[in-house]
Amino acid sequence: MRQYVPRNLFIALSGLILFLISCGPESCFEETNAFVKVTFCLNSTGKAVAPDSLTLYGINMDQYKIYNKSLKVSSALIPLNSETDKSTFIIRINGISDTLEFSYTSYPHLLSKECGYTFYHTLDTDPVFTKNAIVKMNIDKRTITTINEENIRIFY
Amino acid sequence: MRRTYAYFTSLLLILIMSMGQVHAQDTIMIPLKIKVGLEVSGPITYSIEKTNLKAEGYISMDLDEKRSLVFGAGYLNYQHSQYNYDYLNTGVFIRTGIDFNLLKPEKSLGKYWAGIGLRYGLSRFTSEVPSFTQENYWGKTTSSIAKKTNWGHFFEVSPGVRAEVFNNLSIGWTISLRMLLYTGTGKELKPIYFPGFGYGGKRISTGLNYFISYNIPYKKIRVISKKEEPEETEDTEVPANGQKPPAIR
Repeated sequence: MRQYVPRNLFIALSGLILFLISCGPESCFEETNAFVKVTFCLNSTGKAVAPDSLTLYGINMDQYKIYNKSLKVSSALIPLNSETDKSTFIIRINGISDTLEFSYTSYPHLLSKECGYTFYHTLDTDPVFTKNAIVKMNIDKRTITTINEENIRIFY
Repeated sequence: MRRTYAYFTSLLLILIMSMGQVHAQDTIMIPLKIKVGLEVSGPITYSIEKTNLKAEGYISMDLDEKRSLVFGAGYLNYQHSQYNYDYLNTGVFIRTGIDFNLLKPEKSLGKYWAGIGLRYGLSRFTSEVPSFTQENYWGKTTSSIAKKTNWGHFFEVSPGVRAEVFNNLSIGWTISLRMLLYTGTGKELKPIYFPGFGYGGKRISTGLNYFISYNIPYKKIRVISKKEEPEETEDTEVPANGQKPPAIR
């Protein structure tokens, strides 16, 4: 039996190799913010067409633009304020301004161990908006998450 | 983890192929044992890092030369902090199931185990997120998630090896592949880590356990050992006329 001892010890201790190679730090590579994903459509044709120019910023936040005369933005990402239940934006499509307001409920969501927590939102009501450039709005999905799926369509 | 499985498979094959030569015989006596074991990597890691305490023990009873009934229990005090959140989880768990020894009795001799365990696990834990921060266009938001107690259920498959290195003292390791059945926390706030299961953010979790156990023989059973058939060396090729060649006397 003595001949087995060193070999058996080796077999049992081989688990240490597995332990060492199975450990390793990981990083966060996911999107960590939930955005309202907006697709712009031309009202005359109903087709998705990016406006020539898009400016977007939160109300009273005009020094921090989300989009500033950006060209050919076919899908815009709008961040909501997790500390309030309403977020209001100024949206300027092809130089014509409108006001856009979202009402929502926020709740925490675990992204992953590496990325931590974020807030998801549920739109409680349809967005309220002025109708200068915007003609109408369709809601596709009321749950605002980090997943890349369209939430609303803006017809202009 | 692919490399881990490759190593594991190789080691398992080495073990099965290298367990010494046993003379062919009709029956062998196999001792059935009650084993009392401790998982040692958790306390060792805790003594070095002083952060997460994971303690686990088990008791198993051989039903026959192949199967053992296993009951394990453990405790976890887990904390994780990084730049954007803190997480705490404390709780206990039990695991119960059966170990299957894949070695032949004449190889295992009641001392060696290379096989697979199947377990059902139940965990009761209290988790809390004392603070987390999120930063976006509107600024930095700091919030917390209150303490909550939940029950987690999971299923585990744990292949591994174990060898008796001294009289009645075994050491060995298992790879644990666990499938989450239910956490009770809802899909938004899955537990980052919970007792017995590990990382709860995904449906499957893996782990490595390192055990030391004391074995108490309680019974010996006689097991029939099949003789290995000698390989045929004669050329048994059938001639073209379909008749078998005459036997050499």
